[in-house]
Amino acid sequence: MSHVTVDTSEGSTVLLMGNEAIVRGALEAGVNVASGYPGTPSSEIVETFSKVASERRLYVEWSVNEKVALEVAAAASFARLRSLCAMKQNGVNVASDFLLHLVGSGTRGGIVLVSCDDPGALSSVNEGESRYFARLMEMPLLEPGDFQEAKDMTKWAFDLSEELKQIVMLRSVTRMSHASGNVTFGALPDQPAKKAEFKFDGFILDPDEGVVISAPVEWKHQQQQEKVKKAREMFETSPFNTYSGPERPELLLITSSACNLYSREALKLLGVEDRVGLLKLGTTWPLPPKLLGKHLASTDKVLIVEEVIPFLEENVKILAAELASEIGTKTFYGKNDGLIPMTGEMNPDLVIEALKSILNLDYRAVPQEYEQTAQLSAFTGAPPRDQVFCPGCPHRASFFSIHNAIELDGRKGFVCGDIGCYSMAIRPTGFGVLKTLHAMGSGAGVASGFGQLGRFGMDQPVLAVCGDSTFYHAVIPALVNAVHNRANITLVVLDNSGTAMTGFQPHPGLDHNVLGEEVPAVDIAKVCRGIGARVEIRDPFDVEETRRTINELMDDPEGVKVLILRQACALSPQRKYVKNYSMKVDEELCLGEECGCGRFCTRIFRCPGLIWNKDKGKALIDEVICVGCGVCADICPQKAIRREEVAS
Amino acid sequence: MEESVVNRGQSGLRAKVLDAGLCTGCGACIDICPYFRTYRGKTSALFPCIVEEGRCFAWCPKVEVNLDELSNRIFGGPYDGLPLGSLKSLKASKAGPEAGSISDAQAGGTVSALVTFALKQGYIKGAVLTDREGLLPLPRYVDSVDDILRCASSKYTAAPTLSAVNRAVAEGRRDIGLVGTPCQVLASALMRSNQLQRDDFVDPFGLVVGLFCTWAVDYRLFEPFIAARISPERVKKIDIPPPPAEIMEIFGEDGTRMECSLEEIRPLVPEGCAYCIDMTSEFSDISVGVMEGRPEMNTLIVRTDRGERIVDEAVSAGFLEISDMPPDNLEHLTWAAGNKKKRALLRARERGIINSGGGKEPSYLLMNAEVLTRLTEEERGR
Ligand SMILES: Cc1cc2nc3c(=O)[nH]c(=O)nc-3n(C[C@H](O)[C@H](O)[C@H](O)COP(=O)(O)OP(=O)(O)OC[C@H]3O[C@@H](n4cnc5c(N)ncnc54)[C@H](O)[C@@H]3O)c2cc1C
Ligand code: SF4
Ligand code: SF4
Ligand code: SF4
Ligand code: SF4
Repeated sequence: MSHVTVDTSEGSTVLLMGNEAIVRGALEAGVNVASGYPGTPSSEIVETFSKVASERRLYVEWSVNEKVALEVAAAASFARLRSLCAMKQNGVNVASDFLLHLVGSGTRGGIVLVSCDDPGALSSVNEGESRYFARLMEMPLLEPGDFQEAKDMTKWAFDLSEELKQIVMLRSVTRMSHASGNVTFGALPDQPAKKAEFKFDGFILDPDEGVVISAPVEWKHQQQQEKVKKAREMFETSPFNTYSGPERPELLLITSSACNLYSREALKLLGVEDRVGLLKLGTTWPLPPKLLGKHLASTDKVLIVEEVIPFLEENVKILAAELASEIGTKTFYGKNDGLIPMTGEMNPDLVIEALKSILNLDYRAVPQEYEQTAQLSAFTGAPPRDQVFCPGCPHRASFFSIHNAIELDGRKGFVCGDIGCYSMAIRPTGFGVLKTLHAMGSGAGVASGFGQLGRFGMDQPVLAVCGDSTFYHAVIPALVNAVHNRANITLVVLDNSGTAMTGFQPHPGLDHNVLGEEVPAVDIAKVCRGIGARVEIRDPFDVEETRRTINELMDDPEGVKVLILRQACALSPQRKYVKNYSMKVDEELCLGEECGCGRFCTRIFRCPGLIWNKDKGKALIDEVICVGCGVCADICPQKAIRREEVAS
Repeated sequence: MEESVVNRGQSGLRAKVLDAGLCTGCGACIDICPYFRTYRGKTSALFPCIVEEGRCFAWCPKVEVNLDELSNRIFGGPYDGLPLGSLKSLKASKAGPEAGSISDAQAGGTVSALVTFALKQGYIKGAVLTDREGLLPLPRYVDSVDDILRCASSKYTAAPTLSAVNRAVAEGRRDIGLVGTPCQVLASALMRSNQLQRDDFVDPFGLVVGLFCTWAVDYRLFEPFIAARISPERVKKIDIPPPPAEIMEIFGEDGTRMECSLEEIRPLVPEGCAYCIDMTSEFSDISVGVMEGRPEMNTLIVRTDRGERIVDEAVSAGFLEISDMPPDNLEHLTWAAGNKKKRALLRARERGIINSGGGKEPSYLLMNAEVLTRLTEEERGR
C-alpha cells in the first residue's frame, strides 16, 4: 500500500511527487510490468511500483542495467501486457542499442520508457539530454508540464503506444520528478489477471502475430516513419499542448516540462500575461506543424524556454522555416542567441531576465542593496564546504588505503573510476585518488586500456574502482576484456551491499529483490574467479591489511587482480542506528597539532564524526555524528582515539 | 614551490632531501607520525604535514647536519675531519669462543658477538638489527641471542633500520642497542642530541655499533638485478670482498657461488651515497668493518668510554678476540676513508649544499670552514 493507491476513488486529490504521479498514471492505465535501474532522479518510480506490486498484481524488478531493464519491459509488451521502464538520462544511452532495434521491430502491449533527466547535474556527473533520442530513434516524445500532467500523460502514453504499436518516451526532469503537487486521481481499473501470450506464428510481417524483428529493415523503417506521421497527426489536437495569452501576443513564449512552471511564474511576476502568449507543449516530438504554424503566425517574436540543449528551439525553427511562406519571418530568442544559458537548470529569474531584455522592462525582484548585502554575507559568512563521505563510510577507509598504497608504491599509480558515491574520491574526502571518471563500468574499461600501455613504456600501476551494483551493471564485460587481453590492472570492488548512492536498491549480489522475495545471489568473487582474475577479499575497516594487500596486488606484474572490499554502507539498513563502538579521544595522549600528528584525524582523515577543539588544541568525537565504525582508532598515530565495544 | 618561511618539518625535508635525491632510506623519519612510511626500500610522505619544525627534519642525516654540534655532544670536542673520526683504539678482532657459533657472520662476527655480550650483561635490553626477507632488508627489534644471530650478515641494500628504533621507543623501550651503517649512525647521533630541545627527551640508546660503508644499493634496483640471476629466496649470503677484488659474490642456499663486477652494481647505488662523507660510522660507540686481506677478521674502532668498557669486558669474558692491526692495513683504511670524504665534500660543495643559505635555507652539512678547506684541498697519496 502506498499513497498512490491509498485513495483509489476517482476524483480525489492527493499531494504527489512527480515520480509518484507517473506511477499513478501507469496504474490507472493498468500497467503489468515495471523495470528499471536505479539512478537519481528516477529511482522512486520502480520503488513506488514495488510497494503496490502485490495489491496491483504487478511484476517489478530492478534490472542489472538499463538495457536489460528495457528488454524486460519489451518482453511484456511483446506478450501484449503493458509495461513501463524507468531510468535516468544516461541510462537511455545504455539502453539505446536495444532501443534502436526495438523501434524498428515495433511493440504490442503499451510500453512507456520514462527518462528522468538531470539538468544542472544535481545528482549526476553529466547533463545528458535524452530528448534527442526521440528524434534519433524516431519515436514519440511526451513531456509533462505539471504534476497532474505527469499522471495523465503517462496514462495516455500507454494508449498512444498501443495505437502506434511503438514505444513512447516520457521525459521528466529533477524538478518535475522530485517536486510535489496536487494530482486529481482517475479510476484504477479492476485488474483481471491478464494472460500473457507471445504470438509468433502468424505472417512474418504481421505486427501482432508475426516475429518481432527490425527486418526487412527498409520496409520496417518505413512503417516506423508512418507511425511518426500518425503521432504528429494525433498531437495536433492533443490536450497536453495548451496556449494562454492574448490572441496576437507581442511575444510568443514556447516552452515545455518544468520550464512551463518557471515561465508562468515569470510572466506573472512581471505582469505581462496580457502581452506575452505562452504555448506549453506536451508532445515535443514530433511537433504538430499546424498547431505551431497557427501560433507562430500570431506574432513576430518568439522566445523558446527550455533546459540545456536547444532541442525545442531547433525543431521550432525548422518548422518555421518550412512554414515561412505562410507565417512570415520571425525573430527568435533563446539559447542560440545566448539570451538563455545552454547549460544548467532554468529558473524563473533566468526567464525574467530574458523577458526583460526582449520587452525592455525594468524589474528588480529584490532591492539592489539587499542583494549586495546578501551576496557579501554569503561570501564572507558561510564556511567553505566540500562534498564528503558520510561518517563511518567504508569508502573513506578504502580510499585511505588505496591512497597510501599508491604513495608507498611510488610509481605514480592512479585509479580509474565511474559513477557512485565513490566518484567523490576525485575530491579530498577520497584523498583525490580518482584520476578518470566516466560512465558506469568505465573505470574497469579505461583501466583495461591503460593496462596495455606497458609496451609503450608506461610503468605506472593501473587501478580501477567500481561499486557492487556497478560491477553487475557494466564492469563484467570490461573485466572479461582485461583478463582475455592480459591487461595488468588491479580492480577494487567497493562492495557496500547495495546500490547505496540511490538509496539501497537491491542488486544481483543480494539474496532478496525489490519485492522482498528471496532470490539467488550472484557472488562477485565467484564471477571474477570464473573470468580468470586473481581475487582477494578484505574488510576495508582493517586499513593496514587492506593497504598491504593493495600493494601486493600492485606488485604482481601479471594479469588482472580483483580486490573486493566488503563492508556495508554506513546508511544501509543493517548498519544505520547500529553503533559497534563508542569512540573517545584521550586528551592526555592526543598530540593535536604537534610533531607526531599534525591534526591527522581532522585534517587528513576528515571523518565528519571527528572535530577539532581549537581552544584545547585536541581532537574530539562528535557523538551525535559518529556512527562508531572504529576506523579512526587505527589511523591515530598516538592510539589516542579509543574504541569501546557497545553492548548490544 | 619555495616557501617564504623555511620549513623544518616535512615540506623542508621533502624539498631538501627526498626531492633532491639525497635520501638513503635510513628510516629515521619513519614511524614517528602518520606521514613518513617506507615500502620496498623507498621512503615516502603519504600526506602533507603542517608542523613547522619536526623530528623528521631534525633527525634526517641528509639535511642540516651540524658536525661541530654533534661532535661536541658525542665526543666533547669540535669536528676535526680526521679520516677515521674520533677514536680511542683501533684493532683487528673476531668473535671469541663464548659468543657461540655465529656461522652466518659477515666477517669475524665481531658485531654479533658484541651485541650478544651487551645484551647478556644488561648494557642493552634489546637491539635494533637488520634481518631480511628475500633481499628486502627488514629492521627488527630483537631481545634474544637467537634473534641476534639470525640477523647476522650484511644486507647491502640501504635499509630503513631506524624505523625499528622509532617503533621500539614508541613502545616505551630504552637502553636499545643499534647496529647501523654510517648514515644510520649519524641519524642516531642526531636523535641522541635532542635537536628540538624537548623537555621529555631521553637518549634511548644503550650502545651504538657502526658498520663501515662505502655505499649501499637501492633495493628497488637491486632486487630485479639479482632476481634475473637467482631467485632472491635462494640467496644465502652476499659479500663484497675488500679491494682490489672489485666484485660482489652471491652465495646460494645450495652452495652455488656467483660473482658480478662492481661496475654492474654501482649504477644501483642511491644518489645520496655520493655525498656521504663517513666511511667508518664516526658517531658510534664502536665501529666495525671487514679487515682487508683477512676476510674472517674485522677491523674494530673503539670511540667512546662506554664502547671501550664493553669491548674490554667482552674480551675478558671471551666474547671477543682482539689483536693489533697491521700498519699497512691502517694506512690503507685511512687513505680510503679520507678519499671518500674528499670526493663527497667536493661533490656537495659543487652542488652548493654545504654551509649554504646563511642559515636561512637549510643546507646538507654545516661544518667549520677551515676544516672543509683542509679536507677538500689536501692531496692524499697512497
Ligand atoms: C651496506 C653495507 C656496506 C658495507 N660496506 C663496507 C665496506 O665498504 N668496508 C667494510 O670494511 N665493511 C663494510 N660493511 C660492513 C661489513 O659488511 C660487516 O657488516 C662488518 O664488517 C661486520 O661484520 P661482522 O662479521 O662483525 O658482522 P655480523 O656479525 O654478521 O653482523 C652484521 C650486522 O649488520 C647489520 N646489518 C646488516 N645489513 C645492514 C644494513 N643494510 N643496514 C644496517 N645494518 C645492517 C645486522 O643487523 C647485523 O647485526 C658494510 C656493511 C653494509 C651493511
Ligand atoms: S586524536 Fe590522534 S590523530 Fe587526532 S589529533 Fe589527536 S593524536 Fe592526532
Ligand atoms: S609530524 Fe613531525 S615528524 Fe611527522 S612529518 Fe610532521 S614534522 Fe615530520
Ligand atoms: S635519509 Fe633517512 S631520515 Fe632522511 S629522508 Fe631519507 S629515510 Fe628519512
Ligand atoms: S655510503 Fe653513506 S649514505 Fe650510503 S649507505 Fe653507506 S653510510 Fe649510508
